[in-house]
Order: sequence, then C-alpha cells, then structure tokens
Amino acid sequence: MGFEDKAGKYLTFVLDDRRYAFSIKNVIEIIGIQDITPVPESPVYMKGIINLRGRIIPLIDMRLRFKKEEIPYNKRTSIVIVRINEVDIGFIVDRVDEVTDIKAEELSPPPVVTMDGASKYVMAIGKIKGDIVLLLDHDKLFSKSELRTLTESN
Amino acid sequence: MSKFEPGMESMVDMYIYETTTLLEQLDQILIKTEGQGSFDKESINEIFRIMHTIKGSSAMMGLENMSSLAHAIEDMFYIIREEKPVISDSKDLYELVFSASDLLKAEIDIMQNDDYDFTDFSPCHDRIKAYVAVLKNGGGEAPAAEEATASASAAAPVAAEGMVTVKVIFDDDCKMENLRALLLVNKIREDCSEISYEPSDIETNADTAKTIIDNGFIVRFKAIDGNDQLVINGIEEALNVKSYEIIEEAAAAPAPAAAEVPKAAAPAPVAAEAPKAEAPKAEAPKPVAAPAPKADEGKKSVEQINNMLQGRQGGGGKQSLISVNLNKLDQLMDMVGEIVITEAMVTGNPDLKGLQLDNFQKSARQLRKLNSELQDIVMSIRMVPLSGAFNKMTRIVRDMKVKLNKDVNLVFEGENTEVDKSVIDNLNDPLMHMVRNAVDHGIEENVEDRIAAGKPAQGTVKLSAYNSSGEVIIVVSDDGAGMNAEKLLDKGERNGILTKPREEYTEREAFQLVMAAGFSTNEVVTEFSGRGVGMDVVKKNIEKIGGTVSVESKLGEGTSFIIKIPLSLAIVDGMNVSVGKSIFTLPINSIKESFKLHENQLIHDTYGNEMIMIRGECYPLIRLYKCYDLEPTYTNIYEGIIILVEAEGKTACIYADELLGEQQVVVKPFSPMFNDFNVKQYGMAGCTILGDGSITIILDANNIITNF
Repeated sequence: MGFEDKAGKYLTFVLDDRRYAFSIKNVIEIIGIQDITPVPESPVYMKGIINLRGRIIPLIDMRLRFKKEEIPYNKRTSIVIVRINEVDIGFIVDRVDEVTDIKAEELSPPPVVTMDGASKYVMAIGKIKGDIVLLLDHDKLFSKSELRTLTESN
Repeated sequence: MSKFEPGMESMVDMYIYETTTLLEQLDQILIKTEGQGSFDKESINEIFRIMHTIKGSSAMMGLENMSSLAHAIEDMFYIIREEKPVISDSKDLYELVFSASDLLKAEIDIMQNDDYDFTDFSPCHDRIKAYVAVLKNGGGEAPAAEEATASASAAAPVAAEGMVTVKVIFDDDCKMENLRALLLVNKIREDCSEISYEPSDIETNADTAKTIIDNGFIVRFKAIDGNDQLVINGIEEALNVKSYEIIEEAAAAPAPAAAEVPKAAAPAPVAAEAPKAEAPKAEAPKPVAAPAPKADEGKKSVEQINNMLQGRQGGGGKQSLISVNLNKLDQLMDMVGEIVITEAMVTGNPDLKGLQLDNFQKSARQLRKLNSELQDIVMSIRMVPLSGAFNKMTRIVRDMKVKLNKDVNLVFEGENTEVDKSVIDNLNDPLMHMVRNAVDHGIEENVEDRIAAGKPAQGTVKLSAYNSSGEVIIVVSDDGAGMNAEKLLDKGERNGILTKPREEYTEREAFQLVMAAGFSTNEVVTEFSGRGVGMDVVKKNIEKIGGTVSVESKLGEGTSFIIKIPLSLAIVDGMNVSVGKSIFTLPINSIKESFKLHENQLIHDTYGNEMIMIRGECYPLIRLYKCYDLEPTYTNIYEGIIILVEAEGKTACIYADELLGEQQVVVKPFSPMFNDFNVKQYGMAGCTILGDGSITIILDANNIITNF
C-alpha cells in the first residue's frame, strides 16, 4: 500500500497514555526537563526557550499542541530535540518509550477522524506487538501555515 | 548538481565566486569604457582575459553553454583586438556584451538549484555571430581566433630550433591546473614570436590537469627579439606558479647530441602527440645534452632564475589577502560570543562571592581587556566597505539611462564606510529599489522641466554613507522634482491605505506613505518600478537587519531616502532588569535614566492612562508585567524602578521590578518559529545567554513604545 518509504526506525513516546512515533532521522537528542524561559506573546503551546550548550531552542508542549489537558512536569517528562528544515525544535512529551523498527507490513493508513487534535498529523498507524502507534508527520506538524492557523484559533 | 562534471562538485563554490567576480569586473570595464566612448588596448585585453578564464573554467565544470558563450565573446574581442575594425556603432556592441554578461550571471544564479538545466544561449550566439559578420565586413577578412591559435601551435613544434623550453610546476592544490597553464600561456604569448606547450589540449581536456600535476607543464617559446628574460619574468609572475626550470631538451633536440638519446630527441610533433610520455623523459637527457651551445644560455637563465627565486622567498609572500568562507567567520563570531559569556560566568561566579581575591581580580581585568580587543578584531574582519554594493548600482543606472532615455549621473560619497558583511548582503536589494525609484520617479521626465526649474540638464542621483554614533547612515538622494504631499494623500485615499483622517496627516507622515504596501505613485508601470511593492519590501528588508528607513522631500528640489542601520548586530551593552521571575535585557543606548518615583510625579490623563512628569515633561508609563502578562514582585509603582527609554525620537517610561546590572550580551536571534508569531513586533528583539546559563530576552525599546 505504498508504506515502504515510511518503514524504518522510529522513536516512540507517550502522551496521555497513547503512543506516538517520530522518525528517528530527525531526532538529535533527548534531554530531561530543564528551566524554561517563557517568551511572552507566543501561543500557549510554545512553552519558551532553553539553552542547550549555547544554542537556544524553542520548546513545544505536545500535550498543549494536541489540545490535551496540561499536567505538571515530572522526572519522566522529556524533551525530544528534533531538527526540521535546519531548525532545531524541542518538544515536551510525558515520557520517551523506545527506538523501534517499524516494517511496511505493520503500517496501515490513518483513520479519517479521531477524537483528539492529533489526527491531522498522523501519516500512518503502526502495530508493534499488538500495540497501536501513531506515526506523526513532522512536515505537517511544524509547517508554517499549520502553526499560523493554530495561533489564530488560540 | 548532477550537471557538473563528476568530481567537480567541490569546486562549485569557488567557480561561482570566481566567475561572479570576473563578471563584475567586466561590467566595471564596460561602464568605464562606455563613458570614454571607445575601447583602449588595455581594456580589450582585460575583457579578453576575463572571457577566456570564464570559458576555461566553465568547460572544466562541464558547463558547455557558458563556455561556448564566453568563447563567442572572446572571439569577437579577438577580432576587435587583432583586426582593429572601425566600430561604427559601439552602442550595439555594448548592448551585446552587457546582455551576454547578464545571461551568464543569471545562469550562475540558477546553477545551484537541484533541478538546474543548461539554458539555451543560442539567441545570444546568433546576435554575436551577426555582429562579428558586421565587424569582419568592416575590417576586411579576419581569420577566426581559434584558427589563428591553432595554426600558431601547430607551426611551433616544427620550428623547435632556437626555442627555450621551460617546465612549470604549479602550487600544490591550486586546482584547475590546466586553466592556470592556459592563463600562463596567454600571459606570455604577447612577448613570444612562437609558442607551443604540452599537454597541448589544456583548453578542452580537463584530464590534462592531472598530467600537469604529475609531470609539470612544458612551454616552448621563442621570444620576440630574443628577449627570453622578459618571457621568463612573465612566467615567474604568473599566478599559482610554484617553481619552474629551464630545460635544455628542446634546445638540444636538433643538436648532434640528440642521437645519443633518440627517444627524447624525437621530433617535437611526435612528442606533442604523447604528452604524458614525453615530459618525464625530457628531464633525462639533461646531463647529456649540456654541451649544446643553446643550453649554455638556458643554464645561465636557470641560475638567474634561481637567484630571483631566492630573492623572492626572502621578500615575503606575494599576496596579503585571502578569501575566507563566511561560515567560518560566523563560527568565529559565535565562538567569541561564547567566550564573552564564559568570561562573565567565571568572573561573576557565585562561588567567589564575599572573597577577597586581589590577584584574581587583576587577572580577570586583563582577561576582560583582551576579550574586548578580540571582539573588536573579529568584528573588524567582518566589516566590508559599502563600495561593492554601491558599484553594482552603476550598472543599474546605466541600463536605465539607456531604456528611459534620461541623462542621470550617479555620484558616490563615503563609499569606503564599512558595515558588517551580513548587513551588506541584505542591503543590495533595497539599494537597487531605491536607486531605480530615484532614476525612474525622482528625476524629471523632461529635460525642459529641469532647465525651467533652474537645474542642470543632467540629473544627479547621490549615494552617500557615513558613520554616526554607532549607526551607519546611507542616503539615496536625487535632485529631481520631489514629492507632492497632497498628491500622495490623494493616491493613498484612492488606494485605501490611509489609517487616519486625511487632515491629520503631517507632510512628513504623508511622505512615509510611499513605503506602505500597495502604494505606487507612478501612473504608468514601467519595467523598472511602479508596481507599488518596491518600497515596502525595502522597508521590510532594512528592518530585518535592525535598521530604519525614512523619507525627506522638498517639492522641486528632490527626495532623499535615509537608511539607518546598526553597525554591529551581534554584541550589545545591555542592562538586565527583572520582572517577577523573568529577566529582560534593555540595550544601554536606548536607556536615558532610571529612578524611583516620587509621590507627585505620577499623573493620570482623562482615559486613566498613567503618565510620569519629569522636569516639566510628561511621558507615558509602560508597565512591563502588564505588557507580557507576568507576575511581578511589586505592583506598587513606588517600589519598583522606572526606566526612561528613548528610541527614534519617542520617549517613554518603562516600569520593572529592579535593575540587576549592566553586561555585554551576545544577541542570538529567535528561532524562526517565533518569527511566525511576530514576537519582534511586541518588542522582543532576540535573546541572550547570561553568565549562569540562563536566558534573557532582549527588548527593543522602539517597538515597546510603539505597541504598548
């Protein structure tokens, strides 16, 4: 069904008891939660900026991004740093799960409608050992127009 | 990228850089000679050389279209140089060369795209061919350049007798050895009556570069009037020549000694056919062939040259300029920024608090001094004079003069003023727009109007630049008709871009309308301007580099666009202020004073807005915590601190919790993600990392005053 190009290694993480996955190709590193400097006048899901060895990296809280309820950060909370189109972005997730190989035959097309705000950004659904994982499309997730419409709706 | 010759990808940057520089030189020469009305010998040679280099390097890169166009122009100038035809209409010639130069430039621009494909230059080829035919008819029969060269090199090996042979070794890693060799040959050709070289196909065969690296480049020549030394000097001065030696082989070849080494003494034409085999053998017969009379002469030269070489080594390098990749400079700049932060981290370390450390303080002061010197040096490396950007405008004005039939003179002033490289790159487009506007709209359409107004018939557009208190100011002014505020307002009203009632506009504000989006004063859209997108793009580009644009105009006397840009974008002196848990940095140069408020200074206007009265003047009060929705430590205005800030003539008081101290900070731009949310508009210019690793946001007083 044309999922050959999507097969490969994925980093899975948990948000609100649901598993999501992000292609490992874009992930630079995973760090624990840090002191965040908020940036005024930006949308709520833009948590602020952090200093990562001299580089300044903006943070997106994935719970808020998917319009889920905000919970206090704990020691399992992680920041996944990804590089998309030469820009480093960190996103905050409940916890990071594992790096796993997803084969083409384990993938199926995304459903047309789901309950939460994430459905638009799911490029495929993977089944790993009977567990459902939603594969996120970073291009859609962080595209300019997408960010802009989100900003306006906030 | 796949269009390039395999293995050449790494050279693309260098090629683009070289070719662009050459094309700019070409434009300069053309504009200069066009002013004089004729080509002098020097500029013809220069154009010839430029085209030759472009031809060769393009062929190396596998860009046949560029190579052949350059070749055609080269041929054309060959005819001009050799035949000296009477050029009846030089205008056509200039048009032709300018358009060809534009084609080449455009090709370079698109070259780096992944889907790049060769552009078809054949229309331009046809024009050149037609023009060459005209030239030939005017100047009698002229053999094509290539034929002449070919016959020269073909004839040379036969007449090997009496020729001097020189083996040239190029600098290691100078790349494109065959081109360097070609340049060398062109350089000395003028002083030689006969010349030949091996490998002979350097112009067309890129593989010869390898041969040259392995075996050296062999040139045989017979100097005019036997003046060998002149030619050898020429070889020595040529670029990238590492060393050379005079070989007796050629001189000895026809001599009797030749019989002992039949292989090396084989007639030159054979050797030319097998360049690879010939070169190493050429060295072999040296001791045997020594007695030949010509060889003595050669030996003498060798000695002389060795002397000269030694002299040169003692005299230092031949170049004092190097070109550096901009990325490396950026890295260096970042590194210095990091050092500044780290220095603050060490000297302001909390572990040192309360300790009496005289020696430490002394060393720390020394370190700070050195660091700031280092910073100054790095900044100065990145400084580039504006003349490069200005010179590009001469070409634009020239084209417009021709197309619009206006007589305009472009004058520079203070073009040696230096600004940061990153600023220059963002300045080209805005300058171009403004110069175009000045020529197209600024200068009067009819010469009669100018004369009637008592002005010289020739219009003047002036580009001037100067430093003023940490800023560079660039003015683009014309002595044209000036702008009519009423007309601007009429137009603005029609286009619906007025933001307040017309009567409330001052003349100055009316002028600023030209920079609003969707505003075009010219009734007729021309090729050069008039779509109303130009000036607002200019404004945006200038603002992107932290600058401002304003307009001044006087009806009948002309218009000036004034650009102010900060000298340095990277490091500023800042004052850290706290608001609740957040820390902000205000640039020192926008702070006028800071103070605690007295009871009687706070007043309210009729809308309940807070104002502060200082020495009889009233300033609006901006509470930072309200702007940014923060939780402050103090809300009582008398407990916190008031900072009086000024930017672009606007003054306001900012209320914050307390001042934390002054510090040099390195401006780091926000991630592009934040730019989508327009944080800059809300007064946040960037961010910086403090000594303890925490981040502060740098505020921009101007935008805060405007927006809150």
